[in-house]
Amino acid sequence: MLEIKNLHVSVGDKEILKGLNLSIKAGEVHAIMGPNGSGKSTLSYVLAGRAGYDITEGLITYNGEDLAALAPEVRAAKGVFLAMQYPVEIPGVTTMMFLKTALNSQRRARGESDLDAVAVLKLVRAKAKTLNVSEEMLKRALNVGFSGGEKKRLEILQMALFEPKLAVLDETDSGLDIDALKLVAEGVNTLRASSRAMLVITHYQRLLDYIVPDRIHVLARGKIVAEGGKELALELEAKGYEHILKEPA
Amino acid sequence: MTLVLPSTIEARKAEAATIFGSHGVPTRRVEEWKYSDLKVALGEAGIGTDQALWQVDTLPDGVEMFDLSRNGAPDWVQKHFATAGRNIMGTASLTLSDGGVALRIAKGAKISRPLKLTFQGNGHVRGLLVLEDGASLTLVESVGIADFRNVGFEIVLGEGASLEHVRISQQSADAVLVEEASLCIAAGARYCAHFVGFGSKLSRMELEIALEGEGAQAHLSGVSVLDGKRHSDVTTHVIHRHGNTASTQLFKHVAGGNARAVYQGKVTVAKGADGSDSHQSAKALLLSENAEADLKPELEIFADDVKCAHGAAVGDLDAESLFYLRARGIPEAEARGLLLQAFLEDAVAEIVNIDQRELVRTELLTALKRVA
Repeated sequence: MLEIKNLHVSVGDKEILKGLNLSIKAGEVHAIMGPNGSGKSTLSYVLAGRAGYDITEGLITYNGEDLAALAPEVRAAKGVFLAMQYPVEIPGVTTMMFLKTALNSQRRARGESDLDAVAVLKLVRAKAKTLNVSEEMLKRALNVGFSGGEKKRLEILQMALFEPKLAVLDETDSGLDIDALKLVAEGVNTLRASSRAMLVITHYQRLLDYIVPDRIHVLARGKIVAEGGKELALELEAKGYEHILKEPA
Repeated sequence: MTLVLPSTIEARKAEAATIFGSHGVPTRRVEEWKYSDLKVALGEAGIGTDQALWQVDTLPDGVEMFDLSRNGAPDWVQKHFATAGRNIMGTASLTLSDGGVALRIAKGAKISRPLKLTFQGNGHVRGLLVLEDGASLTLVESVGIADFRNVGFEIVLGEGASLEHVRISQQSADAVLVEEASLCIAAGARYCAHFVGFGSKLSRMELEIALEGEGAQAHLSGVSVLDGKRHSDVTTHVIHRHGNTASTQLFKHVAGGNARAVYQGKVTVAKGADGSDSHQSAKALLLSENAEADLKPELEIFADDVKCAHGAAVGDLDAESLFYLRARGIPEAEARGLLLQAFLEDAVAEIVNIDQRELVRTELLTALKRVA
C-alpha cells in the first residue's frame, strides 16, 4: 500500500530525512520509534502533504500513485489520514460542523453523495460513544478548551469516521495518562483491518504495549537504522536509543 | 405645503448650519476623517441638496411614527429632535434635510416583532428613534442602493430601555454612503448594535454614544468583508459620562483585493465616571498584499477608577489551521472560507435576534466566497 524509497526531505535549508525506506502492506501495523529530532514528525507531515516540507529526492508511492503530487485534501479523500500530535484549535467552527464538512468533502471527492446532518450525527454519535466523546464536546468549537486526552480522542474519532486506508498516528500517546492511553489504543485496535495499513509513530514503547505492531522501525538522523518485530520495542525500552545508534545501520 | 418648524427645532437646525458652514465637506485633513476622504470620493457632484427617502415595513403594534416633513411635530419629537450629535456630516443632514422619520416606543412597551427601517435614494435624510423608559425593540436597518446618501440618525434610550440595532449594508461598488448615529443612553438602558458591511467606494458608519446614567451599557459589534476597491469605515466615540457604565466593542474585518477596512474607536471616560468598564477589540485579516486595514482604538480617561482595555491586530490566515482542515479532506478554497467565517463568528454571535444572525451568516458566506 505504501512504498517509500530513498526519501530525502528538507525544511527550509535543513535536510531532515536522508534516504528513508519503508514499505507497508494492507492489514499491517508498523511502528516508527526514534529519539527527538530524528525526523518522525517530518515523515508524518510529508505523508499528509503539509507545505514547507520539500521532497528533494526519492519517491512515495501510495496504492501505485505518486503521493507527493496530490494535494492534502486529495490524499484524505483517497484514504490517507494523519492523527496529529498537536491537533489545531479552531475557534468559531463547531466540532460537529467540522466533522460533517470534512466527511462530505471526502465523499464528494470520491463521487459519493453528501450525507445530511441527521445521518452524519447518527454516525458520529455511534463512534463517539465508544471513544467517550461527549455530546457537549461535539457542540464546542473544534479542539478549543479540550484537554490533551480529549483532543487525541477526537483525532481517533475522526479516524473511525473517515475509515482511512492508511492511518498515520503521530505521537498519539503524548500527553495522555494511562486510562486515556488505553481508551485511545482500544479505539485504534478496533480499526485494525485487513484492508487498512497503520503507521504508529512514537517516542516511547508504552503505546506499543497496547497497539502491538507487526513491525518496528527505528528512525534516527533521518534514516531507518534498525528494524525488527515487536520485541525490538522492549529492547529499546531496556537499553535506550543510544545503544542502537552506536551500532552500524 | 410649507414646513413650519417649531421654534426650538428651528434654533437647533440653525446652530447645526453654522457648524457645518464653518467646516464644509470633510477631507483627510480632518482627524476623524483621515482614512476616508469624503470630498475626493464625491468629486464634483459634492453632497448636493437632494432629499433621500425612508420606508418602514408594517409598523409593529405599539410603535408611533411621525413623518418629519410634515407640520405639527408632537411633543416627543420637539423634545428630542436635533438635540444630540454635532459631528460634521450630522450637521450637514440637519442643515440640508427637510424630512425623515421619527419613531417612538411608549413607556414600558416591549415590541417583539422587529421594526424594519430602510433609508433609500440619494441625498440627505434624518431619523429619530425614541425608546421611553423600560421600552424594548429590535431595529433592523436596511441600506438602500444609492450614489450618495447621508443619514443623520438620533436614538434616545430612556431609563431601563433596551434596543438591539442590526444594520446590514449591501451596496454597489461606486456608492458613497455616510451615516451618523448619535445616541443618548439613560440609566440602566442597554444598546446593542451590529454593523455588517460589504463596503462601497466609500461607506462610513459613525457613532457617537453617550452613556448618561448609572448602569447604562453599549455593546457594539461589527464585521466587514471587502473585495475589489471597496472601502468600509466604522468610526465610534463612546463617552462614559456617568460612573458604573459599560461598553464593549468587537470589530472584525476581512479585506482582499485593493480594499480598505477602517476602524477608529475612541472611548472617553469623563471626570468622575468612576467604575466605568470598557473593552475594545478590532482585528483584520488581509488576503492580498494591496488590501489595507487601519485600526485605531483610542482611550481618553479623565476618571480615576476605571477598567479599560483595547487592542488591535492585523494578520493573515493561520497556515496550521488551513493544513489541518485540508488534511481532513476539505478543499483549500472551502477551508479558507471556513476559517474566515470562524474568524468573524464571535462578532456575529453577538447578534441576539436569531433570524438576523442567520441572515448575516448567509450573507457573509456569499461575500467570503468572493474574497477567499
